[in-house]
Amino acid sequence: MSEPVRIQIEDFSQDAEIAALKASSKRMGGIATFLGCARDFSEGRDVSQISFEAYGSMALAEMRKLREEAISKFDLLDARIVHRVTTVQAGDNIVFIAAGAAHRAAAFDACRWMIDELKQRVPIWKKEITPQGESWVTPHP
Amino acid sequence: MIKVLFFGPVADRVEMREMDIDYSDGMTLHDVTHKVGMLYPGALSIVSFIAVNQEQVHDKQTALKDNDEIAFMAKFSGG
Repeated sequence: MSEPVRIQIEDFSQDAEIAALKASSKRMGGIATFLGCARDFSEGRDVSQISFEAYGSMALAEMRKLREEAISKFDLLDARIVHRVTTVQAGDNIVFIAAGAAHRAAAFDACRWMIDELKQRVPIWKKEITPQGESWVTPHP
Repeated sequence: MIKVLFFGPVADRVEMREMDIDYSDGMTLHDVTHKVGMLYPGALSIVSFIAVNQEQVHDKQTALKDNDEIAFMAKFSGG
């Protein structure tokens, strides 16, 4: 079974991630997921590709901490975080987060918390490639 | 030797991803930041986070050890 926290170049399968999450416990009554994908339009410009860069060792360590914190904070049964670091095309998958809990409220809350924290804490940067040129994305709340 | 790493927008401004700085006894994070700031003032202006050995550090007086790894990072934009 694949690691629950990964940074990878290749695409991921949501079905495989959810199956792995479910396999960890039969007490799971609710699973909430977040899928982040590449948009073809941003800040008034067409975007053809998005290129990601990460401080790999720190990013992975921070994502592992984040998962552990989410499990503890929301009493999750399991959680998974997968982020791609490569150049993606519009429509491609970027990040997948899944939170599994006994009940739906904790799963929803934890899933939202994990993606919000990831954006704040994990050293990954995205650059949008547009017909007018390339530019690093300034994060927004 | 102190290994200094640059990523994303900071690396673009510095036009390199990595540099080495000679270690000396009593060296602090401030010493390294000052040196990088002197060499690349335009890059330091967008640095929001500094990590020492993959941990964020806020205290510039943090003492460094030989072979430490320091990363200068702009605001994150993953996800």
